Amino acid sequence: MQYHWDFGAVWLHKTMLLAGLIGTFRLAVVSIALGVVVGIFVAMARLSSHRWLSSPATWFTEFYRNTPPIVHFFWFFYALPIVANISLDPYWAAVIALSTQSGAFYAEVFRGGIRSIERGQWEGARAIGMKYPQIMTRIILPQATRRMVGPFVERSFELLKTTSLASTLAYADLLYQAMQVNSLTFRPLEVYSTVAFLYFVSLLTMSMLVRIGEHRLARYA
Amino acid sequence: MDFVWDMSVIEKSIPVLLRGVALTFELWIIAFPLGLLIGFLLSLGRVARTPWINYPCIAYVEVFRNTPVLIQLIWFYYAFPIILGTQLSPVTACMMGLVLNTSAYCTEIFRSGILSIGRGQWEGGKAIGMSYATTLHRIILPQVFKQMLPAFTNRGIELAKVTSLGSVLAVQEIMYQGRLLSNAYYRPLEIFTTVAVVYFVLIYPGSYLSSRLERRLGMRD
Repeated sequence: MQYHWDFGAVWLHKTMLLAGLIGTFRLAVVSIALGVVVGIFVAMARLSSHRWLSSPATWFTEFYRNTPPIVHFFWFFYALPIVANISLDPYWAAVIALSTQSGAFYAEVFRGGIRSIERGQWEGARAIGMKYPQIMTRIILPQATRRMVGPFVERSFELLKTTSLASTLAYADLLYQAMQVNSLTFRPLEVYSTVAFLYFVSLLTMSMLVRIGEHRLARYA
Repeated sequence: MDFVWDMSVIEKSIPVLLRGVALTFELWIIAFPLGLLIGFLLSLGRVARTPWINYPCIAYVEVFRNTPVLIQLIWFYYAFPIILGTQLSPVTACMMGLVLNTSAYCTEIFRSGILSIGRGQWEGGKAIGMSYATTLHRIILPQVFKQMLPAFTNRGIELAKVTSLGSVLAVQEIMYQGRLLSNAYYRPLEIFTTVAVVYFVLIYPGSYLSSRLERRLGMRD
């Protein structure tokens, strides 16, 4: 083990890695936002009593839960343009793959939260003359949201990790930039260790922030 | 919608994809038991009171859970050989990444299972003269085994999906064969759709089983 570590080579290309980090976060934030929108619609469809609404939504989530994310990336990048007769750049293919996939998982989070509220709450609200939208916004969602926070955050962290697959489509995320730096410096050990460390620190900082936020939330509740 | 769906491409691809299925299955069937075993051993370290056993186990789990799996696979293939001094084959590197990643998640499942049993049970075991191993084997594990089952089946499903990332290291599993075929025939739509279907058919029985298990165990409590 006479290996001489040299992080200088990595430091030399820090702006490339920083650009990659920004690319990763840009992809994650946009996909989380769109994923929430997809998730709300899918959850509403799944909770619906109409079969023709709930059963496609169920298959949508089942499909995403039972196929690997990398297949979604490749399908949206290479296959969707043929079906839809459009051209997609890697960024948008990754956004579509990530937001539909996370939408499927968010839908489960939302649905689980809403269904965890006892039936008595619905009946009580109905008994005092509230309508469905009122019951939902005034009674159910305020309680359910608090229960959704944990799983929602967990899913979002999963999504952040999954953004690294966008590098296989040559989207300039942190991993892709690392591959570029590696081909310039031939220092895979330093480069990939640094990048793993950057992911680690980002995720750890965020989970610490979330924990602080949850404490605050618990105090006011 | 002016694309043509070419069924013959799929027929020609099936034998190649089946070879991929065999390797995917091989990766899974080796990595899962190993991951469980290492996870179990580490969970004992995780519940230990001795800091110099406990802290390294925490670090291990946190590193593998807070970095993307793809980075881990790439690290084991490109970076680890430099420390090791010899080149690793893609399958070996991929296998290492899969095993260690799975083991980190399994550690947490075992740990929360073990911790869910009250201290009184440990003390009771000790009081009637049982050793640590006997108490664990005869008293603690039989009680938590059932409640851990759904978590382990979910891990198995996750692992099955993660094997697809082996394609990035040119491990010739399903996804890799799909990428190869797509390049060979220029029919990404048919090929990647088939790949997605193949994964779904392989993974869905597992997740169906897992949801059945969860429902059944949930009803009993």
